[in-house]
Amino acid sequence: MKTPAPTDLQRWSEELARNPASLAFLPLARAYRRLGRRDLAVQLCTRGMEHHPTHVEAHALLALLHFESGDRTKAADEWATVLRLKPGNFEALRGMGFRYLEQGEIAKARNHLERASLIRPEDTTVQEALRLIRQREMAIGKAPPAPATASAAESAEASLPAKPDAPVEAAVRAQAGEPPSHPAPKPEAPEPRVHRSPAEAAQRVVSGSRFMPAGAAPQPARPAPQQWAGDPTLPADPARLFEEMASSGPLLGILLLDRRGLVLAGALRHGGDGASEELGALISAAIEEAVRTNEHLRLGGWKTLTLECAGAAMQVAPVGDSAMVVVAARRGAPMGWVARSAYHAVGIAERFMEAYA
Amino acid sequence: MNGAYRDALERVSRVPGVRGALVVLADDGVPVVEELQSDVSGAAIAALAAALFRRTGLAAGSADFGALETLQLEADGGQVLIGGAGELIVVALISDDAQIGRARVEVVRAAQSLRAGPALS
Repeated sequence: MKTPAPTDLQRWSEELARNPASLAFLPLARAYRRLGRRDLAVQLCTRGMEHHPTHVEAHALLALLHFESGDRTKAADEWATVLRLKPGNFEALRGMGFRYLEQGEIAKARNHLERASLIRPEDTTVQEALRLIRQREMAIGKAPPAPATASAAESAEASLPAKPDAPVEAAVRAQAGEPPSHPAPKPEAPEPRVHRSPAEAAQRVVSGSRFMPAGAAPQPARPAPQQWAGDPTLPADPARLFEEMASSGPLLGILLLDRRGLVLAGALRHGGDGASEELGALISAAIEEAVRTNEHLRLGGWKTLTLECAGAAMQVAPVGDSAMVVVAARRGAPMGWVARSAYHAVGIAERFMEAYA
Repeated sequence: MNGAYRDALERVSRVPGVRGALVVLADDGVPVVEELQSDVSGAAIAALAAALFRRTGLAAGSADFGALETLQLEADGGQVLIGGAGELIVVALISDDAQIGRARVEVVRAAQSLRAGPALS
């Protein structure tokens, strides 16, 4: 972990002194955290968020600080905030996933971990936890899979560590770019009350004494899934949800947005980093305006919003009540074709939303 | 100058199914001329349409798609068509059974003719 330079600390401190609304609180808080001054880091984050209450990275850092201080409830609150602001935040999904796993809320744990897995399929801690959860579900056969039943909760509780820092720690420390605080466990010499890794936590939850039938053999390890378990025809990476449609022809990209304009899936080939997010936010605001217009004119619910710009054409269409797709094509693409593309994109998005739910 | 605006609007209004048309100041949302059925408030439509066009234009600009030229809002009970003409926008309210293709062409033509005309100030 890189030690912050004193000159950086001074520069950020001076900047904050000059302008309390400066975003310098974030690197400064990170630096204090690295120096072991979590108390100062928490203060900086808390004050910084008075000016930037929806700053995702600040909430994520605060979650990490609370977690490291052993306050898992506050950490979970911050992760939950992160997810409200940015439903696709990997660290928060993983943190909440393991938090639910700890609490024995297996269905919620699986839901969060699967979403995390969509974003970073290569993350081994998430994959291992999911593999073990699914393995357990396969082993119990016809038993209802994974709702947070009393037995699951009891089982989870029975398997949870007495030491509060254990199960999520490896993943969260990995998130913070740190080595695990404990050495990797030796499988042949388990220590029953201390979890060394999220995977082990998952193993303990799903193979707890009342949850795993006697004699049930563990399933062989499977490779990381390339498709999402919720719907095997959907790609694992949500950014590639519409790739097959948008990779050729005049399409510039397709986005699936939630009602607040946050990008759920898809990507734009046009524009740089952050272009999709910015477009999503602004389109969402435009749709709110459209809804107001429709209400005033008594036109009923909106069906499509079609735009022709100097360099592109776009169509926005609702996906149920809670989301919308934005299809962007090069200028000159036939508008009927753009409309058909939007229709197909809505179909894909509906499947995604169904599996996502 | 109002004569030119009225000519542009008349062509739009003549399309079957068009319930009304307006020329509106894009930034202020104030109607310049309007031809509307009696059940529709021109001032309100002008304000709403201008706000919708502005916000949508911001979205298009953020994605580097260039200036917004036309906007079509389709709803269960009809459509709103807006054509950009610099400081002005041309707005048409269209019923469900309208000849939407023709209305669209006329809105675009009206916007082009206003864009090519003299500036407001």
